[in-house]
Parts: sequence; structure tokens; C-alpha cells
Amino acid sequence: MGQSSPIATARRNSELGLVVMAAGITAVAYVLASLGKNSQMPATIVPFLIALLGMLVATHIATRFLARGADSTLLPMAVLLNGIGYVMIARLNDERAAKQTTWTFVAVIAFVLTLLIVQRPPDLARYKWTFLFVGAGALMLPLVPGLGSSVGGARIWVSLGPINLQPGEFAKIALALFFAAYLADNRELIAAGTRRIGPLRIPELRYVLPITLAWAFAVAVMVAEKDLGSALLFFTLFTVMMWVATERAIYLVLGVVIFSVAAYIAWRLFPVVRLRVDVWLDPWAQYQGKGYQPAQAAFAFANGGFGGTGLGLGSPNKIPAASTDYVYAAIGEELGMVGATAVIIAFLLLMGAGLRIAIRADRPFEKLLATGLTTIVCMQAFIIIGGVLRLVPLTGITLPFVSYGGSSLLANYVLLALLLRVSDSGARRRGEVPDLLTIGERMEARRLRRGERQAGHA
Amino acid sequence: MNKQIRKLVAGLLVLYIGLFAMLNVAQLVRKDALNANPLNNRQTIRDFNRMRGPIVTADGVVVARSVPTIGDDQFKYQREYPTGDLFSNVSGYYTYSFGSTQLEKTQGQVLMGDTTRQKFDSVLGGADNTGSVLLTLRDDLQRVAADALGEREGSVVVMDPASGAILAMVSFPRFDPNAVADHDTQYAEDVLTYLNAFPGKPLLANAYQENYMPGSSFKVITTGIAFENGVTNLDRSWPSESEWVPPQTTDPIQNYGGRACGGSMVEVFYRSCNIPFAQLASELGPQRMTDGVRAWGIGEPLPIDLPGAVASSFCGNVTPCDASYFNDQLPLLAIGGFGQGNDVMVPLHMCMVAATVANGGRMMQPYVTDATLKHDGTVLDRTDPTVWKTPISPGTAATLNTLMVGVVNRGTGTAMQLAGGIQAAAKTGTAQLNFVPGQPQRSHAWIIGFAPAEAPRYAVAVILKGTTDEVSASTGGKLAGPIAKTVLDFLFASEK
Repeated sequence: MGQSSPIATARRNSELGLVVMAAGITAVAYVLASLGKNSQMPATIVPFLIALLGMLVATHIATRFLARGADSTLLPMAVLLNGIGYVMIARLNDERAAKQTTWTFVAVIAFVLTLLIVQRPPDLARYKWTFLFVGAGALMLPLVPGLGSSVGGARIWVSLGPINLQPGEFAKIALALFFAAYLADNRELIAAGTRRIGPLRIPELRYVLPITLAWAFAVAVMVAEKDLGSALLFFTLFTVMMWVATERAIYLVLGVVIFSVAAYIAWRLFPVVRLRVDVWLDPWAQYQGKGYQPAQAAFAFANGGFGGTGLGLGSPNKIPAASTDYVYAAIGEELGMVGATAVIIAFLLLMGAGLRIAIRADRPFEKLLATGLTTIVCMQAFIIIGGVLRLVPLTGITLPFVSYGGSSLLANYVLLALLLRVSDSGARRRGEVPDLLTIGERMEARRLRRGERQAGHA
Repeated sequence: MNKQIRKLVAGLLVLYIGLFAMLNVAQLVRKDALNANPLNNRQTIRDFNRMRGPIVTADGVVVARSVPTIGDDQFKYQREYPTGDLFSNVSGYYTYSFGSTQLEKTQGQVLMGDTTRQKFDSVLGGADNTGSVLLTLRDDLQRVAADALGEREGSVVVMDPASGAILAMVSFPRFDPNAVADHDTQYAEDVLTYLNAFPGKPLLANAYQENYMPGSSFKVITTGIAFENGVTNLDRSWPSESEWVPPQTTDPIQNYGGRACGGSMVEVFYRSCNIPFAQLASELGPQRMTDGVRAWGIGEPLPIDLPGAVASSFCGNVTPCDASYFNDQLPLLAIGGFGQGNDVMVPLHMCMVAATVANGGRMMQPYVTDATLKHDGTVLDRTDPTVWKTPISPGTAATLNTLMVGVVNRGTGTAMQLAGGIQAAAKTGTAQLNFVPGQPQRSHAWIIGFAPAEAPRYAVAVILKGTTDEVSASTGGKLAGPIAKTVLDFLFASEK
């Protein structure tokens, strides 16, 4: 592990402690769910525990070797949410649980690979245009005939043989990377502006045009795919990043105004949108139709009450999308307000950790990247939890780390790895951990030395 | 940028506080309203996966219990009724799709262990906190009553006159709750549809959820009111007449079968002449008669600890049933005096009438739940006997007792003379139903009574509905009397 540093050791040890606790909670919950559902110990408990511990050890070892100075709460929170989500999925649907297990393996591998490949955040900034085109391309993939397909009205799926993917999940990260890099380069130019109209300073078109086009394009594609949840998330991400980067509140105001006008026009023009608002206000009026699911979710929360029915003892299967969009209602039913609050707190801790990384980062790109990635996770959780609780109209989207879905899990573990990488980079630069050469750099150095030796011999 | 990021933290925090507030609304504030929503069957599903306590008779026979399901069943427990149809009108049924009835409904919280006390105790220790319901009814007596009734439409009610505890209450037709409680919803629905269409309303507990014309058994009430108001005494006598024309009409009232009938107060009571009681009702007049029947609890739903009990009535479906209804219908008042016309009585209520005479004039609240018990057998709640009405004085009760003894010894109720020389008291009734053109004359056969007359311990009421020629061609004394005798003989024999 090279030279040890007290801060790095402390962080990694507290991460290990928290991860072990999250694993313990998951294992106990898994057993309880099986006892509650079938009154017997799960037959798969030994392989389950081995797989669970294996994956956790893998993630933790990855941070120990590859991101020693990184924040210690991010990974345990993600593991806890993933664990709770897995237990709920396993309790709801055996077939999906098996797939989710596979996807969790893949996600953990992606997490390790991301930490391995991205050793210094500035490496990412260099590929900002690549990310823009990859992101935009990924977004458009479901629209390609023969490749894309619709599930539940939203055309956001791509079928590659037996594997179904939602490329939009990855596009979000790619576009956040592009925004962060682009804004880090151009934020002062955009903020300064050249012309004035009244109190407003208008930035030069050539600086704002690329990013505005990218944003408008992405939102348009998402709306075309009827993926309103992602469109809303992406819109919020863009607004927040523009505001933070330029330090000008006008972008926040502009975002709110544009959103309000767009929402109003959509409500006036599209019956689908009006239906969603009606169902949001009174699901019981359309209980036989679109209101069935939100009404069942409301019943689930009520049935759970403060302490919950207990795992395996509620009826979350009555909610059609209990393992995907509505997983939070299933948690509310069986784990009660106590468990549902724990999930909210886990996301709050993720938010706190993520934005602390942003604040402590000293480079604009890293600051903006951490802000953007944290905003994605927290806003996505807010949009879907708020929708399920009927705080806001429901727009279908997964609950990060918790919902069933391979693309979502994979994308969120990659996102987590990027956040940890930014955090580790900040710690190195602040001298909290020795800024040793990364593995890639060591290999590069060895190659160079070998070259020198060969040159010397020559 | 840090300023903006800090503001972003604050903004996201506000959104999450909104989530937490909404979570409180969803899981605490709206909880009860949502759980009570008729579209919501989560509570039911949950209950069907939990143990539920038994209902047990006074002599220890299990009437309803939950057993673990075997094989592939959507729920963990199956409710079963080992006594089949015998107690269906008391236990009711407990179903997934069609709700629950009777004690399964009203004692649901105790059976599931959901009362505050049971929940509290289960926190302190013990996983199983289900409760049980101990009935006042006896399985052995219920079987005897059901066998005596046989496959004739009607009801038998037996109670302890001093407490109001019901010892047996059975009707025919009845139903087997096992069929309704089947987890196959389609099958259960078919059974319910069939039972709903079945003549004789097997799903209704005829003994306390239906009322029937009482005929002469009502004379106990009229005589009681007359003695309380001093319009008659044991020295009064009536000439032997076959017809009497009441006021406001030219249409005469006749005795049963058109016979001439008369004699002393004791004689007209045991012979069950109609005219004397029509005259007593007329002499009492609309005001005293309607006040009098109200004092017997007529017009009020019976206060039994089972849901859906109906009321008896002196005015049929007409409300309010007061003097103004009879002021210009004096012939109807006169006919009502001997239990015809607009009189309808609940079988259980007629048993309570006999019990009132037996209990010195105090009418007790009827009950089937002796006690509710916790899982360990300790009592959660025991029913305390309560006086419901006091329609007559002890003196009037003693007089009616004497009159009713006459019925058994020398009158229409000789069929109720008990084994072993135990003195019974009774009043018969043969209620001639309103004639329907094209159909034979129909009549219900009644008997109510108690024993031993000198210190009554059991009161009984039997009705056979006039739905068959056999019943309609006979009388209460001949048909209902033997059933009452069988039940009472069994009770006294079982005491030895």
C-alpha cells in the first residue's frame, strides 16, 4: 500500500467499519425478509453472504489502493442503499433478484475499472467533446429503429441481444462531464458578458451557444423519448451547473422561468401531461386506470405506518412497479417511516459528502464535476421519492442504487467512482495524503526510464 | 463558486425536508383514513397471514379457529369452523374478499391481538398475542336444539333469564362458514351468491336479524301492560263469545277457529281466547298500549352483542309507532292485542319476554360473549349482566307466571310438560299470516316459556315459520311445544 498516511488510514478504516455495518444490515434484512415471507431461512443465504462480502471487499480494497484519501461516507451510503434495494427486490421478485445480483457484480467491476482508468480528474476534462458526442449519441440510441424499444411508454431502451440497456443513464454522466469541463474553461467569459440590456449582461454567443445547444438537444431528445423524469433531472442539472459556474443567480431565475413556461405549455398542449397532474392531485378518481399505482403506493405507506409491517409481511406486490419506480413505497410499507427516513438520510449524507468534496476541491473542473454528479444523484432521488409520495407529479425515473435496473446501478457506481476520484484528488492536493504517483504514472515513468536507459546505452 | 454550492446545499435540504414532511403525512397523518379506504385490502391481506384466535363455546368446543395452510396457498392461515353450520349465526364468517360478519367482525381486534392491552402485553413478552372469545352458548345444547328443529324453517333461542346469557341460538336454514371462508375467491363468491338466493335467508341470523308475527304469544305482553295499568285482575271473567265488534268498524273479531271462548282471566289465558285480549288492548287505548309495548323494548333494535340485530314492532313498518297511529285505527289496536295485525317480533325478543316474566319483571340485555381472553387464558373483558328494561313489576311478573303455568298444565301448551315433574310455564302462539289470494292460509307456530316455574333458570322461545303446509296446518302448542320440551328436558337432565 506504499507509504501510509494517518488521514488516509483513518478514512479507509472508518469506511471499512461503515461498509461492514451496511453489509450487516443488508444480511440481517435479507434473512428477515425470507423469514417474513416464507417463515424459513433463505436457502441461498451462504452464497448470498459470500457474494455480498466479496463485492464489498472488492469495492473497499479498490478505494484502499486506488483512492486512499477519498471521502469515507460515500461508499458505505451507496452500499447501504444498494443493500436495502436488493433486499426489497429479492423480496418482490426472485427472477429480478438474480438479474440484480449479476448487475451488481458488473457495477462493482465498473466501479473498480473507473477508479483504475481515471487516475487524475484532469484526464477527463481533456475529453470533454468526446463526452458530449458520446452522451448525445447514447441519448439518441433508443430512437434508432430496430435497436431501441419502448417500455411503459418511454422509448429509452436499447436491446443488444439478451442485454437491455438504458443508455440515458450513462448519457447523464457523460453530459455532466462535458458541462463541468466546458464551464470550467469558459465560465468567466460567460459570466462577464459583453453587452448590456438594462441590468442584464448578455454573454457572447460563441461562448454560450455550444453548451446551450447541447442542453437544448438533450432535453429535446428526452422529451421526444417521453422520458420526462430524465428531462427534468437534466434540466435541473444544467441550471444548477450554469449558476454555480457563473456565480450569477440570473441563470437560476432563467431556469425556473423557462421550466414554468414549458410546464404550463405542456400542460395546455398535451393531454398526457394533464392526466399526470390529475392523477397526482387525485389518484382515486382514476383508480381503475392511471390512478391505481399511486393509490396503491398511498395504501402501502399507510399500511407501513411508523414502524412498518416488517420485511416480507406487507403487500408491496400490489404496486405494479414496486421494484423500479415505486421501490420507495415498498420500503415505506415494510420498513415503515423509520426505514423510509433512513433512506432519505442516506441520500442527505451522500449530498453532504458530495458537495463537501465540491467545496474543498480547488480546481473549477473538479468543483463543477462534483457539484454536477451530486446534483444528479440527489435530484434523481428527490424527483422519484417526491413523485411516489405525491409531493410532486410523478415522472418515472429510478431511485439511485435502490431500484431494480442494471443501467441505473452501473451508471451510479461509475458516478460514485468519479466522485471518489475527485475527493481523492483534492486530498492529495491539500497534502492530506502523499501525492504519490498513480499506477498509470508509475508505469509511464518505468517506460520512460527504460527509454532513457536504452537511450543511454545507445 | 463555494457560495453557490452552499446555497445549493440549503436548497436541496429544503427539498428533502419537503420529502420528510410528506412522508409524515403519508405514513402517520393519513394512515387511518387510507387504511379505512374500501379500496384498500392490505390490512386484510396482512391479517390473513397472521394467526387469529379461536371462538370457543361455554363447554369448550372450538367453533372457529385458524390453522396453517398446507401446500400452495396465497395466505399463511386458513380460518376453519369445526362445528360446520351449527354456530354460523353467532360466529359469522371471516373472508378475504367479502369481509366478515357477527363475532368474527365485532371481536376481530381481540382475535387478532390488536387491542391496546394485547399489543402492550406482547411487547413485554410472548410472540403470540392473539385473543379468544368464550361464548355463553353450549355446544351440546345447540346440537339438541338444532336436531329438535330439524329441517323446518325457524329458530330456537335459550337463555338464562337472570343474566341474559344466551345458551343456545340456532335457526334453519343456516350455512356452513367453511365454504364462504375458502381462499378461492371465485368459489366463495359462488357460495355467497347461492346462499343469498336461497329461500329462508340462511345468511341472516333469523333468531335476531328477522322478525315475525307473534300471534297469541304476544298476549303475555298485552296482559302484562293491562295488569300494570290496572285494567284487569285475576278476578275478571269474560262471557263465552265467538264474535266481538271493536269500535270504528262493523267487521267482528273472532277467536282462533271461530270458536266460542270465555271464562276467568286464568282460563281465557290458557285457552288463548282472542276477544278478551282485543278488549284489553281497546280498554288500554292507543296511548297506554303504545307506551306499554315500548316499555317491553318493542321498537328498539335488540341490544345483543352481535351486529345487525333488528327491532320488534307494534306497527309493522310504520314509524313513529305512537298513539296517533292507532287513534283512528282502533280495530288494528284490538287485533294487535292478541298478536295479529301489524305486530312483528324478533324470536330472540320473545325469549326475552318469557325471561322477563321469569326474572321478576326485569328484562336483561342478551349476550353471547361470556368473556374475551388473552392468549394465556387471562380475562381481557367479561360481560356483566345488565338490566335493559323493566316493563312489569315483580307482582305482575308473578301473576303472568301463574297464568303461563296454566297454559302448560291445562291449556294450549301441554306439550311442554317436562320430564321429572319439573313445572314449566309457557305461552303458545299460532300467528295467522295475512291471507294471500291463491295460496293456502299460512301461520307461524310459536311457543315461549321458562322452567322451573317456581325458580326459573332457563327461558326458551321457539318459532316454526309458516312456510310449509305442515306448520301452517298445526298450532304453536303442537309443533313448537315439543321442541321447547326437548331442549328444557335436556338442560335439566344435563344438570344431574
